[in-house]
Amino acid sequence: MLTTDSVLALAPDDASAKAARGLVSASKWPLRGADERAVWGECQGSGNKPYQTQVDLAGPAFRCSCPSRKFPCKHGLALLLMKVSDGAAFSGGPPPAWVVEWLASRAEKAHKQEARAAAAAEAPADPEAAARREAQRWQRIEAAGTDLARWLADQLSQGLGALNPAAVAAWQTTAARLVDAQAPGLAQRVREAAAHIGAAPEHTLARLGLLQLACEGLARRQALPAAEQADLRTLLGWPLDRADVLAHGTRQADRWCVLAVAQDEREPKLTERRVWLHGHTSGRRALLLEHAFAGKGFEQGWVAGVDVDATLVFYPSAAPLRALCEAAVVVGVTSLPCLQDEWQLMATRVAANPFVPLHPVLWRDAVLVQAGGWQAVAGGRALPLAMHDDDAWALQARHGGQPLQLAGEWDGRRFAPLTAWGVPGLPPLWQRGAA
Amino acid sequence: MSAWSPLLPAALVGTDRHTGVWPPMGGWPPDVAALVHEATSAPARAEALLRAAAVLAVTQAASEFGQRWTTALPAPATPDAHPAAPADALLGWLLHEGPPRVQHELLAVWAARGQRLPEAWLPAALELGRRSIALRAPVAAVLGTRGHWLAAKRDDWRWAAGSEQADDEARWAEGTLEQRSALLRRERGSALAAGRERLAAVLPELPANERAELVGALATGLGDEDEPLLESLLQDRSREVRQAAATLLQRLPASAFVARAVARIEPLLRHERVLLRKRWLIEPPAEVGTTDPPRPKHEALGERAWWLYLVARQVPLAWWPRHTGLEPGELLAWAADTDWAEALHRAWRDALFTAPEPAWSAAFLRHWPRGAGPDGRASVLALLPLAEREAHWLRLLDHDGELPDALLAQLGPGCPPPQHLSLPLSQRLAAAVRQRLASGSVTLQWPLREALPDIASLLHPQALPALRELPSHPDDPPAVGALLHNVQRIATARARLHAPDSV
Repeated sequence: MLTTDSVLALAPDDASAKAARGLVSASKWPLRGADERAVWGECQGSGNKPYQTQVDLAGPAFRCSCPSRKFPCKHGLALLLMKVSDGAAFSGGPPPAWVVEWLASRAEKAHKQEARAAAAAEAPADPEAAARREAQRWQRIEAAGTDLARWLADQLSQGLGALNPAAVAAWQTTAARLVDAQAPGLAQRVREAAAHIGAAPEHTLARLGLLQLACEGLARRQALPAAEQADLRTLLGWPLDRADVLAHGTRQADRWCVLAVAQDEREPKLTERRVWLHGHTSGRRALLLEHAFAGKGFEQGWVAGVDVDATLVFYPSAAPLRALCEAAVVVGVTSLPCLQDEWQLMATRVAANPFVPLHPVLWRDAVLVQAGGWQAVAGGRALPLAMHDDDAWALQARHGGQPLQLAGEWDGRRFAPLTAWGVPGLPPLWQRGAA
Repeated sequence: MSAWSPLLPAALVGTDRHTGVWPPMGGWPPDVAALVHEATSAPARAEALLRAAAVLAVTQAASEFGQRWTTALPAPATPDAHPAAPADALLGWLLHEGPPRVQHELLAVWAARGQRLPEAWLPAALELGRRSIALRAPVAAVLGTRGHWLAAKRDDWRWAAGSEQADDEARWAEGTLEQRSALLRRERGSALAAGRERLAAVLPELPANERAELVGALATGLGDEDEPLLESLLQDRSREVRQAAATLLQRLPASAFVARAVARIEPLLRHERVLLRKRWLIEPPAEVGTTDPPRPKHEALGERAWWLYLVARQVPLAWWPRHTGLEPGELLAWAADTDWAEALHRAWRDALFTAPEPAWSAAFLRHWPRGAGPDGRASVLALLPLAEREAHWLRLLDHDGELPDALLAQLGPGCPPPQHLSLPLSQRLAAAVRQRLASGSVTLQWPLREALPDIASLLHPQALPALRELPSHPDDPPAVGALLHNVQRIATARARLHAPDSV
């Protein structure tokens, strides 16, 4: 199930992947052991005490006694790389105490979390106070929305052609005011619009148009259906509580194909991970969106190209996409979902919620072509690619120009492939980030 | 004209000043047009414009999904008949980050086995060849059809595209300088005259650097029939070309060029009786006029010494012992006692590299003459067959007991890739290295530290196990730990390359 590529794709950056490759050597690991649940080993580092490295295969989740701030660290990756390439070199036998303890603590933590979620769902701390706070925040945001609508109209009365650097600086002030009003999502959109001034004016105009749509939605919020109201909250940058979603979101049990895993550095010290899933039976697409601060890493590891049995809890939305995952069990290498009209899926999603930033796309039987930048051509349609040149050449080399199955993200203009398969039913040929 | 064009005039000048048609009319599809008109019916123009923009932004997001593609798709690579070598992680490390010598060895071993590169490594291998011309031929030999297909897709990889199949005449007409040079050398290997005529036909139209490079290709299969062409090139406009031609003529003992050189040197050398002994005396030419090349500005040789140097370096080395009856070693010692030591030593060194003579190589190796500039024994060694080089190194090992620094510096340059050392010498070296490492930390032994990766890259494959576990010391700094780890890794990877099943 795990392959060298999928392990390397878990690396937080290229340097870690490279360092991990360098540690793949029996002489560095005096102790290596594994059972069906976990892999563990001791790695001789620069100190005299070896590092204790362990991986819970259910995730995979990592832990290591080394002082590295990277997560997972090179030791964990190297251990897993060795397990993948030469599983026989690992001794069987019962795990040592430090492994048993960690696995037990993980199980306990998961258990506690469930209990907490259940408790939270049963009784909110002080429902009245919470409702009051929420009403106050809505008030502030609605006032900010009215201001934003006026500001938008001002910009258009004066014309975008007259914008100069001083005016663009004023846009930043507008964004800052939206942050103060607790609507960081709108602030982000104002900043993006500002960043595009000077390029094609229609790009700025399109962004301002969507902001206008947001303002008008905000003005008649009470009249909107519940799902649209939820989308409005997401747009404002005011996400629902995890516990709330677990308590009230719609559940969907299915066998999910892990289409792709993307990990990006958002701000210094903030890592965003997006896991894109496709339900084999329901045909639904889902996004598991998580953030990790200061290189802490994510509780649960995800590997692209496998099928998992899981129940997802969807955030309320007119076009439900984002979800939370309760326990997932890996079933095996995925046999990709059947062919679908990706364009139709995407258009339907936009119609229900025009503010979806990224769409999952599975582009079957696509041939890479270089025609003023890389394109992925399938079914008489060419998607322009947002893909690093080295990645495109690596894929060409591995697959020799045969049709590929690409899974990735469509941002409205370009398609960023994250996972590529040659023949469906085999592990992925390539994943972004795994050199 | 984009869907946005009808909205842009008002958006750019501002709705306050805009005097054009309102509401705007666009070539939108009917459904979109209806929505835009509903939006622009708002009383305030700015708001109406924003609403129209919202309609277009959303409809565009829902409708834009790439472009129609109607041209034919590029053909995929044809399947490969040869097996791909296993994409072993350790060998992958060698190819991507190993020392160039071992990269070369890896490629040569696979080529000899009829294997080709694993597909995933093709871009890295083509990049290697792009940066290092020396690695191009070994890379091209293991690309397979997939690699050739890939190389044809990129300008900076095209040197490797179809180098097996391409038509010779087409490559000679359109190829790069290297391709033409390689083709010429290959043709010289089978049809000497055809190669020479091919070259002679194009020489007049080539720029100087290309002339010099292609003339150098005549070295393959050089013979007396090449003399007329080379002789005519001595009048070439470019000094580079004249030099290349002279170098080759010097290797033809029967050539007029050599005869002229001998005729110039003979009168300068006299056998005279001094007291009771006869001895040889040499005197530079009295007047030469302008020289080619002219004496450089900061040349250490004086003017007359420079003339002597120019005359002497064109004389084939074999002439000197024949004429004087002295051995090369005796000649080196004799020259050191004359006033013209540096001129002679330098001339002989140049002549040695132009047309190697085993007896002279041995003499230079035994004792590097002071006048011949910085110690070049490592390069002289490279002129000898490997067996003689090794005999020289074994003598050094015997002489010093352990690892002399001079030996460490010679090993790498003295053994060009993809060759490796013989088993007996390798075992001696490995044992000496282990002994040095065991007897104390290498932290301050810079020549050894520098040479260790080279040694691991050079040893006979069967001697490698000795380097796979190296003695280390607890107080080694991290850099030494990393060095030893690297050496062990090179040794392990090479052992696996040569015996893929047993390691």
